Amino acid sequence: MNENVHSLIGAYAVDAVTPDERADFEAHLDACEDCTAELAGLRETAATLGEAEAAPAPAGLRASVLEEIGRTAQLPPLTADDAPAARDAEGPVPLGIGRDGQDAQERHARQRRGWPRLAVAAAVASVLAVGGLVGSTLMADRDDQLALEKDVMMVTSAPDAKSMDLGLGTAHLVVSEKMSSVVAMGDDCPHPKEGMAYQLWLVMDDGSKEAGPTFMPDSDGTFMTMVHMDMDGVAAIAVTEEPMGGSAEPTSTEVAVVGL
Amino acid sequence: MSADRGERRLRAVPADHADATPDAPADARADADALADLLVRTGRGDQAAFERVYDALAGTVHGLALRIVRDPQLAEDVAQEALVEVWRAAARYRPDHGSARAWVLTITHRRAVDRVRSEQSHADRLMNHGPRHAVGAADQVEKPEDVVDAMDAQWRAARVRKGLEALTPLQREALELTYYKGYTNRQLAESLGIPLGTAKARIRDAMIRLRDHWEVAR
Repeated sequence: MNENVHSLIGAYAVDAVTPDERADFEAHLDACEDCTAELAGLRETAATLGEAEAAPAPAGLRASVLEEIGRTAQLPPLTADDAPAARDAEGPVPLGIGRDGQDAQERHARQRRGWPRLAVAAAVASVLAVGGLVGSTLMADRDDQLALEKDVMMVTSAPDAKSMDLGLGTAHLVVSEKMSSVVAMGDDCPHPKEGMAYQLWLVMDDGSKEAGPTFMPDSDGTFMTMVHMDMDGVAAIAVTEEPMGGSAEPTSTEVAVVGL
Repeated sequence: MSADRGERRLRAVPADHADATPDAPADARADADALADLLVRTGRGDQAAFERVYDALAGTVHGLALRIVRDPQLAEDVAQEALVEVWRAAARYRPDHGSARAWVLTITHRRAVDRVRSEQSHADRLMNHGPRHAVGAADQVEKPEDVVDAMDAQWRAARVRKGLEALTPLQREALELTYYKGYTNRQLAESLGIPLGTAKARIRDAMIRLRDHWEVAR
C-alpha cells in the first residue's frame, strides 16, 4: 500500500481534489485493493451525508429528465478487457465524462511528459498527523513536499513498480526502472541514534556506492524519500546511519540492505 | 435551454408517479437491494426502471445539489445533468462495489462541486443567476410530502447531526468546507493555514470517524 497516494483518499471521496489529482488517484486506484475497499466505505459515508439534504425535486424536472434520456445514448459496460488507459480516462466510476474528464486526461499526459528529473529529493516526513501536529521543520517548503508527493505517486503507480521490504519496521522500497526511481517509505520506522540520520545508498554492480538522500522518520515513525537515477547497474539499496546532513561514503555498517 | 425548461415545467406529471416508494429506515436493506436491481436494469436500457430510480432518488439528488450550489436554478440544472448521467452510465454501476444510492450521489456531488468551481471561476455568477432566486409558484414541489417522507427525512437529518457531533470541531469544519462548499484539499489547507498533508489527513479522519460512527449506530 502506498500511504502517500492513500492519504488523498478522503479528499477524493468528498471530491476535494483537482482534476489532476482525481486522474492521478484513479490511475492508482485500479491497482490498489486497499484503496478500493476503503473508498467504497467512504463513498457510502459521503452518501449518508448527502441524503440528509433531500429536498423535493422541482415540478417539471421529472418530465424534463425523461425527455432528455429519451435522446441520450447509454455507455456500454466496462469489462476486464478494457485497457487500463481507457479506464483511466473515465475512472472506476465513470463520472465527469466529457469536458472535465478529457481535460484531466490531457493534463495528466502532459505531466508525465514533463516529469521533473530530480537527482535526489530531500527527505520529507509523510504527513499523517492528526489534529494539525506535523513535523513542521520538514514541512517548511510546501512546494517541495507537493512535488515529492506527486513524484512518489508517479513511481508507485508505474506499470513496472516493484515493492520490497526494506527491513526498517514495515518500511518498503518501490522501484521502477521505467521511471528510473527508487522510493523508500514507511510508517513505523525506528529512530536512528541521537544526532544521526538515515542515509540511502545505491550499491552498484562493481561494489561502489552512490550516496542517496538522508531521511528522518517523524515522531510516528513515518518517512518518505526518493532517488531518481538510472537503475541499470544498481545491484542493491542500502541504508546506514550517518551524521546529520549525510556522508559522501558510508561511515557505518548497513542497517538495511535490499538486493534488486 | 432555460426557456425550454419553462415550458416543460408546465407539462403534466406522469400518472405512475404514485409508485414512488420512500425508503424508510426499517426496510432500508431491502430497498437498497431493490434500488441496485433497478439501476442494473436501467443500465440495460429499461426506462421504466430508470423512472423508479428517479422517483426514489430525485429528491435526494436535488437536495444535495441545492445544498452545494445554493442557487435553485443552478441546482435544478445540476440535478438534471446528474440524473441524465445516471441513465447514461448506469451500465457501469457495479452492485458489488457499493450501493446504488452512493453511486448516484457520488455523481451528483461531483457535478455540483464542479459547477460551484466553474461558477466561481467565472465571476459572473450573480449577474447570471441572481434574479432567479425569486422562486415562483411554478417552482413548487412536484408532490406534497407525505408523512412517511417527512419522518424519514427527519430521521436522516438527525442521524447526520449525531454523526457530525461525533467529530472534532476541526473535522467538522474540514467537511463543511470541502463536502458542502467544494473546496479542494489545497484550498482547505491554504484557507486554514495548515500543511497540505494535514488537510488531507483531516478530511480522511473525519470521514472515517463518520463511517465508524454510523456503522456502530446502525
